[in-house]
Amino acid sequence: MLSHLFKLIWNKKRHHTLLMVEIWVSFLVLFGVMSLISYNFKNYVEPIGFEYENVWALDLNKNQDTTAIADKLHIILQKIRSYPEVEAASRMSSNSPFSFNTSNGSINYKKTSVHGDYYDADDAFIHTLGIKPILGTWFSQSDVVAKFKPVVINQQAKEGLFGEINPIGKIIGDNQKVVGVIGNFKAKGEFSDNRPCIFNLIDDKYIFNKVLIKVKPGTDANFEAKLTKEIASVAKEWTTEVSYLTDQRQNQHNLALVPVIVFLIITVFLLVNVAMGLFGILNLNIAKRREEIGVRRAMGATAGNIKIQFVGEMWVIATFGVLIGILFAVQFPLLNVFNIEASIYWMAIGLSIVVLYGIVTLCAYHPSRQAANIQPAMALHEQ
Amino acid sequence: MIKLSNIEKVYQTSNIETLALNNINIDIKKGEFVSIMGPSGCGKSTLLNIMGLLDEPSNGTIAIDNKPVEKFTDKDLAYLRNQKIGFIFQSFHLINDLSILDNVEIPLLYRTSTNKSRREAAKEALEKVGLSNRMKHFPNQLSGGQKQRVAIARAIVGNPEIILADEPTGNLDSAMGNEILNILLQLNAAGSTIVMVTHDENMAKKTHRLIRLFDGTQVS
Repeated sequence: MLSHLFKLIWNKKRHHTLLMVEIWVSFLVLFGVMSLISYNFKNYVEPIGFEYENVWALDLNKNQDTTAIADKLHIILQKIRSYPEVEAASRMSSNSPFSFNTSNGSINYKKTSVHGDYYDADDAFIHTLGIKPILGTWFSQSDVVAKFKPVVINQQAKEGLFGEINPIGKIIGDNQKVVGVIGNFKAKGEFSDNRPCIFNLIDDKYIFNKVLIKVKPGTDANFEAKLTKEIASVAKEWTTEVSYLTDQRQNQHNLALVPVIVFLIITVFLLVNVAMGLFGILNLNIAKRREEIGVRRAMGATAGNIKIQFVGEMWVIATFGVLIGILFAVQFPLLNVFNIEASIYWMAIGLSIVVLYGIVTLCAYHPSRQAANIQPAMALHEQ
Repeated sequence: MIKLSNIEKVYQTSNIETLALNNINIDIKKGEFVSIMGPSGCGKSTLLNIMGLLDEPSNGTIAIDNKPVEKFTDKDLAYLRNQKIGFIFQSFHLINDLSILDNVEIPLLYRTSTNKSRREAAKEALEKVGLSNRMKHFPNQLSGGQKQRVAIARAIVGNPEIILADEPTGNLDSAMGNEILNILLQLNAAGSTIVMVTHDENMAKKTHRLIRLFDGTQVS
């Protein structure tokens, strides 16, 4: 029966070319969307690796002030930490979690190198973001005077550089000694990929402009006002901007989700077109092929056989479009396009096939049932 | 083989009731070649459709091989049509998008059979009607007589015991018509039971029995 259906559609291929092209294009767009969704979903299910609830990011803009900066920063940090509302406060580089700043480069160990993100942070960083090392320890401020600069890497960097070897005590890069390994650290939010990263210890001379503050639950805007006022009293020319990590996280999510939504809208539009095309073609087919339906019924086809035939024909048309689409889609995992894991592309191909055949079946089912209900004597008599 | 008892067929539209067949009683024996004649609109094709289980009577009973079919499901009826009955139509009803060979294979698609066995059976049927050299052709490349021979091949490919032919020569000239009738006579001689609707007295005379209809009633 299958070969019969293929033959029937192949012999009528000219009538169905447009629909096949439409299915092919829809498959490719669907594949793009499914790749995006799979990529984001795979990232989303991977834990972010730190706590962001009740964490504020303080941006200290020094404007034109150049006097006694280090002293002022020291006083400000002391003041922040002295508030009962503050559970922990940490200095860090400007690429704080969920910010739009990045700092990246190679992380090297002997001849092995991985590309990752660089962060500068102090000893309070893990308390502020609730991070727990999975190997070794987080650095302490006393490590500043050590012969080797202490660094902490994440699991991704560890796997890339050391594989199964314990990295604690190993010297990497420019005289940096690995003192600890943390799990994930996805600074750009749940939808970002789990990249390797390395944390350098900030020394006391470090001129920072970002402070992360973990406040007690329920701390409100009154404290925020009090805090900025206090900072202004220490450094009059400075401006302070407070942002909540939860809000910044939402911004990062929007950035990741907007292209997915735009693509999704285009895909839905295309799929609706395909669905309408299929529906129209089948209705027209049934009207034009009543004689054939009558003949097949006379030759022994059951109503079910007729239904299967018409749904099957649509599957065959879809198969021609999908097969050409697959030829294009498989190039992505084979050529490692965009440096994305091949499994994401394979999953996207699978999902696109399922969605497309689902739509085809849905569109074909009702007209095919109508075809199956045609009375054979009536269909033959009309001709 | 086919027994129709008190068959009545009424077509009902919104407020008009048309009696197409009235009190038809026919018993067709195995191996018979029966022709049905009557003026246009007298119910010949309706009767043939009822015999072929393509249509249901409004009243009366049909028995095939002494088995009443009233309570048969759609699947049972389709099975009977597929296994026992072969149809030949006046306008051939070939599928233009399929080759001759593929057209002939159609009844076998609804049986459990392999591609190879279907192909072999279809070739054999086409050989019987003298069209083995046209297997790859499409219906629109054939003459009327050839098309009807394809339709006969399709009707006999599954070796049915009964062949129902609805004016098989109606669209053909007399030479072609005689050729088709000869094929039917040969099939009958080989054991097939044939019921043929025709307008042609001469052809009807060559069959074993003639049933005449007039205004839906059996007159002889």
